[in-house]
Amino acid sequence: MSDLDDFKATYFDECSELLTALEEEFAAIEAGERDSDRLNAVFRAIHSIKGGAGAFGFSALVGFAHAYETLLDYVRDGRVELTDEVVSLCIRANDIVADHVNAAQTGEALDADYGAEEKARFDGLARGDSGEDDEGGEPLEDFDIDFTPVMVNLGHAEGEAAVEDVFDVPPMAPAEGSWEIRFTPHRALYARANDPLLLFRELAALGTMRVKARMGQVPPLSDFEPFAVYCSWEISLSEPSLTEAQIREVFEFVDGDCDIAITQAGAVPAADLEAMEEDLLADAGEADLSSLLALTEDEMAMPEPEAGIASLLDFAPEPKPVAASKQDRFEEAPSLSFADLAATIAPTPATAPKPVAVAPKAMVPANSDGEESHRSNGVQSIRVDLDKVDRVVNMVGELVITQSMLTQQMDETLRARYTELVRGLEVLAQTTRGLQDSVMAIRAQPVKSVFSRMPRLVRELATKTSKKIKLETIGENTEIDKTVIEQLSDPLTHMIRNSADHGIESPEKRLAAGKSETGTIRLSAEQAGGNILIIVEDDGAGINRERVLKLARDKGIVAPDFTPSDEQIDQLIFAPGFSTAEAVSDISGRGVGMDVVLSNIKKIGGSVHVRSWTGKGCRMTLRLPLTLAVLDVMLVKVGESPYVVPLSSIVETMQCSRASFERVPSGGRVLQVRGEYVQVIDLGKRFGLAKPTGTADQFVVLCESEGSQKVALVVDDIIGQQQVVIKSLEENFERVEGIAGGTILGDGNVALIVDVQGLRTTHLHQNAA
Amino acid sequence: MEALSLRDDLGDRAAAAGQNSLQLIAFSIGEQTYGVEITTVREIRAWNGATPLPNTREYVRGVINLRGTIVPIFDLRARFGDGQTSPTKNHVVVVMSVGDKWVGILVDAVSDILTVNRDDIHNVPEGNSIDTELLNGIVTHESRMVGLIDLQAVVSGAKADA
Repeated sequence: MSDLDDFKATYFDECSELLTALEEEFAAIEAGERDSDRLNAVFRAIHSIKGGAGAFGFSALVGFAHAYETLLDYVRDGRVELTDEVVSLCIRANDIVADHVNAAQTGEALDADYGAEEKARFDGLARGDSGEDDEGGEPLEDFDIDFTPVMVNLGHAEGEAAVEDVFDVPPMAPAEGSWEIRFTPHRALYARANDPLLLFRELAALGTMRVKARMGQVPPLSDFEPFAVYCSWEISLSEPSLTEAQIREVFEFVDGDCDIAITQAGAVPAADLEAMEEDLLADAGEADLSSLLALTEDEMAMPEPEAGIASLLDFAPEPKPVAASKQDRFEEAPSLSFADLAATIAPTPATAPKPVAVAPKAMVPANSDGEESHRSNGVQSIRVDLDKVDRVVNMVGELVITQSMLTQQMDETLRARYTELVRGLEVLAQTTRGLQDSVMAIRAQPVKSVFSRMPRLVRELATKTSKKIKLETIGENTEIDKTVIEQLSDPLTHMIRNSADHGIESPEKRLAAGKSETGTIRLSAEQAGGNILIIVEDDGAGINRERVLKLARDKGIVAPDFTPSDEQIDQLIFAPGFSTAEAVSDISGRGVGMDVVLSNIKKIGGSVHVRSWTGKGCRMTLRLPLTLAVLDVMLVKVGESPYVVPLSSIVETMQCSRASFERVPSGGRVLQVRGEYVQVIDLGKRFGLAKPTGTADQFVVLCESEGSQKVALVVDDIIGQQQVVIKSLEENFERVEGIAGGTILGDGNVALIVDVQGLRTTHLHQNAA
Repeated sequence: MEALSLRDDLGDRAAAAGQNSLQLIAFSIGEQTYGVEITTVREIRAWNGATPLPNTREYVRGVINLRGTIVPIFDLRARFGDGQTSPTKNHVVVVMSVGDKWVGILVDAVSDILTVNRDDIHNVPEGNSIDTELLNGIVTHESRMVGLIDLQAVVSGAKADA
C-alpha cells in the first residue's frame, strides 16, 4: 500500500501547486486579464485535481470540482459571462477546493453540505444560460470517475496481426448516435504527459468504440524523430443518444493540444472514406514499423507486413472476449513508450519474423528513461527528498570550511615557496564557491508558494471583520531556502492577521480619518545582501503605544520607573508573555501571538522589527538568512573559548580599554561610539567565563540587528572571518540562552554561535526586572 | 553469579542473549563502579577537551564534535555532587544514546564488560536522594557493587536556573 501512499503524496503535492497556480490565475483575471489562456489554465488545474481525486475516491472533492468545472466550461464557451460576480464565486470556489483537498489530505471530514451553496450557484449559473442542455445539470452521482468500463481489446497477444482496436460490435453500421472522430494529437499533448489511451478509455465508456490508427505520416526509419508525432486516430463511437458535447467533454482537457474533428457517422462523405483507405494503404510499405507505432499506446504486436495490411483493411477480426485480459493490458499500456518502440525496432529486420514468436519479446517493460524523455519536453525537473539535498548541502558546507581552513593555514613563507599550490588553492576556492552556490540554488524556492496563500487569508479576514482590505504582493519571485520558506508560513499568517484584525480600521473609521475606505496590506520580499527582507505593511491605525506600555507595566515586562522609547514600546509586542488572549481584546494595536512570530523567526536565524506610525500604519520587517546551512561569521575568543558572531549583524569591531566604558545608574555599562551611547554586554561575564579582570585592552564587536539599537559585545580577542556550517545544539542537547547554535571549526573543535538578538532581549528584561 | 559469567566467558551466547541476563559496560569514578546497558553505548573515546556551554550547570562540561555532530558531555562525578573531574588524556568519554539524542559521559576509566542476571538487580536503598535519583538499581558483580546509571535522569535539568 505504500505505493498508493506515494501516489497520494504526489497528488497532494501537485494539488498544492495547482492551487497556487489557481490563485495566480485569478489574481490576473481579477486584474482584468480575462483571456482564454487563463481560463484554460484554470480549467485544466481543476480538471487535474478532480481527476486525481476521483482516482483516490475523494468523492466530495470530485463532486464539487465537477460542478465548478462545468461552470468554467460554460464560461469558456461563452455561455456564461465572466462577470465580477462569477469571478468572485470562482475565487470562493478555489478556497473550497483547497479546503476539500486539505480535508482529503488530513482525513478530516468537512460538513456534508460544505460548499453546497456555491455548488448550487454553479448549477444555477450553468443552467440559467444553457437552456435545455442537460449537461450542466447532470447529477454528480452519475459522474463516473473510476474508469472501469474498459471494453477495449487492445491488441492480440496471441499474435493475430492487427493494428486496430476492436470492440464488441462491428461498426460501419452508421446509426443514430454514431460518431466519427478524427483525433490528431500535437506534440504538446505528449509534452504535457497526456496519454491518448486515457482519452480512448474515457470514450470507450461512452459507447461502442473502434479505434484505427493512421500512420501515413511515418517517415523512413532514418528520418524518424523520437519526439515527433506521426500518429493520429480515427475513432468511431456509437451509442444511442450520444451527443457531440459528451464527446467534446472527453477532449476538453487536451483542448488546444490536438486537432479534433467530430462528425456524425452517416455524414462522412464516401470520398473521405476512400481517402482514408488510401492513407492506410500507403502505410503498407512500412507496415512493420507503422503497425508498431499504432501500438505504442497499446501493446507491441509484431505483425508480418502482409498481415498488417490485411488487418488494416479488415475491420473485424474476431471480436475477443476481454474479461480476463483487459485488466493487465491496461496496466501495461501506459508504460509503453517510444523507448520500447526503439527497442522493438531493432529486432525487426526486413525478414519480419513471425508475430507469434516476437510478440512476447516485444513486450519489453518500459524503461523509465524512455518514459522521461518522452514525456518532458520543456524544463525538466525531478522531485528529490529534501533529506538528500540536505546531505549534499551539508557536505558542501564542510568542503567550503575545509577549503577556507587550508587557505588560512598557508602562511606567507609557504605562499612564497609553493606558488603552484597557492594557485591550486585559489582554483579550489572558486570551485567550491560555485559548487556551494549551485547547491544552495537547488534548495531555493520563490516565496510565491507562501505568498500565494495570503490572498485567501485576507479575504477571509475581511469577511470576518467586515472590513475592506486589499492585499498587494511584491517580489514574490524572490528566492529563499526551502526550509526557511517552510518556517515562514506561520509567522506571515500571524502578521497579516494582526494587520487585518488590529491594524486596518473599519471602513467608517477609515473614512472618518480621511483615508480611503479600503485598507491596504502590502506584502513584499526583497533580497538585501545575504538576507531576505519580508515586509508586511499596512495603512491602518498603527500601534496604540499608551495601551501597550500600560499593559507591559501591568504585566511587569517594563519596570514602572523605566520609560522606554517609542521604538522600544513597539518592539514590546514581541515580548513573551505579553500577548495572552486577554491582551488581544484589550489592545487595539498588535499582540496576537507575536511572540510566536518572534520565536519562529529566531529559530531560523532571522529577526523581526516593527515600526509604527500612529494613525498612518505599521510596518513589520522580517530579516531572514538566505540559507540556513552556511553562515559568514567572525571568530572571536572569550576566555579560552571560541565563539562566532554572525557577520550580518556586525557593524564594526574596535579595540578599546575597559576605562572607556561608562556606568549608567541601572548598573549597566555603555560605550560611547562617535557620540552615540551603546549598551555593553561583556560576553565573558554574561557566559560565566569570567577571566581575572585586568586593565588590558579589550576588543569590542559592535552589533546591530534589524532596526534595533546597537549593542557592543566585549570579547578577549578577534581571530578573523570565515564561513561556518551551522549545527544544531538542540539535536542532542537543548536550547541555551544567548546561543544560536554551534559550528565546527577547522581544527575540529566546536565553537558556539552568539545569538545577538537573544542577548539583547534577555539583557533588556534583566534590566527591566 | 560466578557460574553465569564463566559461561559467558566461554562464549555461550544463548545465555548472554537470554532474556534474563544483561550486558553492561562498567566504568569507574574514583573507587566506585557504575554500569550502563551495552546497547546504549555508541562509542568510547579519550577525553580531548570540550567547548564549554554558558549558562549550564557545572556538570555540563560542554560540547564536542563527534564526526560533525555536536554532542554534549556530562561530568558524571560532578553530577553525583563530587565536584568537577580534572580530566586528563586518560579520562574517557562514553557516548551513549538517550532517546533520540546522543550524549557523552565523562568518567575516569572504562573497566569491563559485565554480564549480570536481571534477577540480581536490587533497588537502590532509600536515603541518599542523589543515588535514588540517578540510579536505576544496584547489582553485585564479583563482590563489587555496580550502580546502574539512569541516563535520562543524568542528562535532565542541565540548564542552570537563570
